[in-house]
Amino acid sequence: MSKIYERSLSIRHLVCGSCNGCEHEMNALAGPAYDITQHGWDLVASPRHADVITVSGPMTEAMRDAAAATLAATPHPMVVVAIGDCAIGVGPWSGVGSAGDGAGPELGARVTVRGCPPNPEEIVRGLREAAQLLDDA
Amino acid sequence: MYAEIAIAPELVRERLGELAETAQALGAYANETKVRYLFLRPQGVLCAAVDAGAGALPSMANEMPLYDWHEREMRQKQGIAFDGHADMRPLSIGDGPVPEAMTAQGEGVNVVVVGPVHAGIIEPGRFTFSTGGETTIHLDTQFSYGHRDIERAMAGRDALEIAPLIARICGGCSVARSWTYARALESMAGLACGEATEFARVVLAELERLYNHVFDLANAASGAGYGRGLAAGLGLKERILQLCAAATQHRLMFDAIVPGGVRTGVLRDPQALRADLRAVRRQVERFVKDMFENRSVIRRIAGAGLGDSQTARLFGACGPATRACGVELDARTLCAYGAYAGLDVRIATAKGGDVLARCNVKRSEIAESFRLIDASLAVLAKSSIPEPQRVECGVGRVTVATEGSRGIETVSVEVKEDGTIERLHVISASYRNWPTVARAMEGNIIPDFPLVNKSFNLCYSCMDR
Repeated sequence: MSKIYERSLSIRHLVCGSCNGCEHEMNALAGPAYDITQHGWDLVASPRHADVITVSGPMTEAMRDAAAATLAATPHPMVVVAIGDCAIGVGPWSGVGSAGDGAGPELGARVTVRGCPPNPEEIVRGLREAAQLLDDA
Repeated sequence: MYAEIAIAPELVRERLGELAETAQALGAYANETKVRYLFLRPQGVLCAAVDAGAGALPSMANEMPLYDWHEREMRQKQGIAFDGHADMRPLSIGDGPVPEAMTAQGEGVNVVVVGPVHAGIIEPGRFTFSTGGETTIHLDTQFSYGHRDIERAMAGRDALEIAPLIARICGGCSVARSWTYARALESMAGLACGEATEFARVVLAELERLYNHVFDLANAASGAGYGRGLAAGLGLKERILQLCAAATQHRLMFDAIVPGGVRTGVLRDPQALRADLRAVRRQVERFVKDMFENRSVIRRIAGAGLGDSQTARLFGACGPATRACGVELDARTLCAYGAYAGLDVRIATAKGGDVLARCNVKRSEIAESFRLIDASLAVLAKSSIPEPQRVECGVGRVTVATEGSRGIETVSVEVKEDGTIERLHVISASYRNWPTVARAMEGNIIPDFPLVNKSFNLCYSCMDR
């Protein structure tokens, strides 16, 4: 079977109350050290272009509607990847104050990447897992 | 040393005006009965406390717009009333609908809303541009999409145990905030750290400034359409993060500074880090030289996103953006702390207040950070860093100011007898600077927003809390 997504993955990032640590590491994916374009992958500017939605943060009250709208705008098949401990629900802010228990579980993440924040290599591993899920679907 | 004075409510306007003439206004915070206005002087933070129990206080937002957001926050969170504040919107998005944006009115005005979800890998925020033709007339910002109500949640928690949470309020200024918080608890405990610990803290804080500034210049290159500069800058930021990981076991150096010292195992091999940084320094100098010698980049960034010293002063702005307006304001020298006093920190300023000036200040600060790190590592090579000391958290209240990579970071903390938090308040450099980003956009076209915005490169997370 041809592996379409493994060689062409469009990624959209959604921040739901993250501390920006995960975003520093997501940004690294576009730099020369990790350069995800070498796999045919790209960070895209609209959920309408995306195969994968990466989410970070515990989920905040104010982001709930915008997060739902982002997912609703994403064509299927698609996979949500939870980036970092907060998004998985085991981070420092889980359930603290008005923060939720993880943007990942709330948005139906099928792939999780641990870390506070995760290293870029780990994020790439999670994205590869998402590509495999899409190819196997 | 932290000092507190009392001001009668009827004298607030007069006294705050006087204080702002001689000290740097840092903003204000409140509990249910008192408002505390903060100022930075060479001796330390001065707090002017005003009783808010007897009725509304006069709003200072018209004369000194720096109090605009602070008053809106105090009204929303602590129920403090301010007379004469024109903007009654809550600062944070609450249970109800998102507050409506303020827009320019008139024939031919177009309103463009961007966010809260952005096209790049950026934190959430809503930007509402009022434009006439292509030019921005007014920019309204709505933050707090990342609001976790951290301050309320910290009340009642053990002051020492929350140190890892303080480090994670905001990833990009974690070291600066951990250091500020550690200094706050140490000052309440009457604890002084030794020389080696203080030099280690300088190394960590300057490494944070270094990776942020290199990233900012890479983003400015990107905003100017200079792809090679973006790639080179991201590559160098990565190299610095790898060195941070080698030195602290964490790429963003979370928890490297702890109350009582620096975490065990941090900066074990100062000689190796020194040698590695000398090699990185040459590469960074090459990247910066190439960028500044590229005439199309310079033409693109010169004159964009203008700020000025008067606006900076009125809004209580600080950091590289304010120094780019020719203002010599830096907490490392205004109120020297730790090992900075003996390092003779050279403050970089530039004229013009545009994107180019901000890049120039960061370019100079990168060179200075390399120098400060090298000098500090030379000291550490001859001494060993002790284990962190035990901090006996005493009852008290203090505000501490530290110079982070975006400007002055403050943490205000009040601890009860049992060592738990009575009140925690964080005012980040980003909070202090965001209103000036909106002003700097006036007269610029919307497509220049990424360029202007990234030349400040403020965080949302420590603003939202």
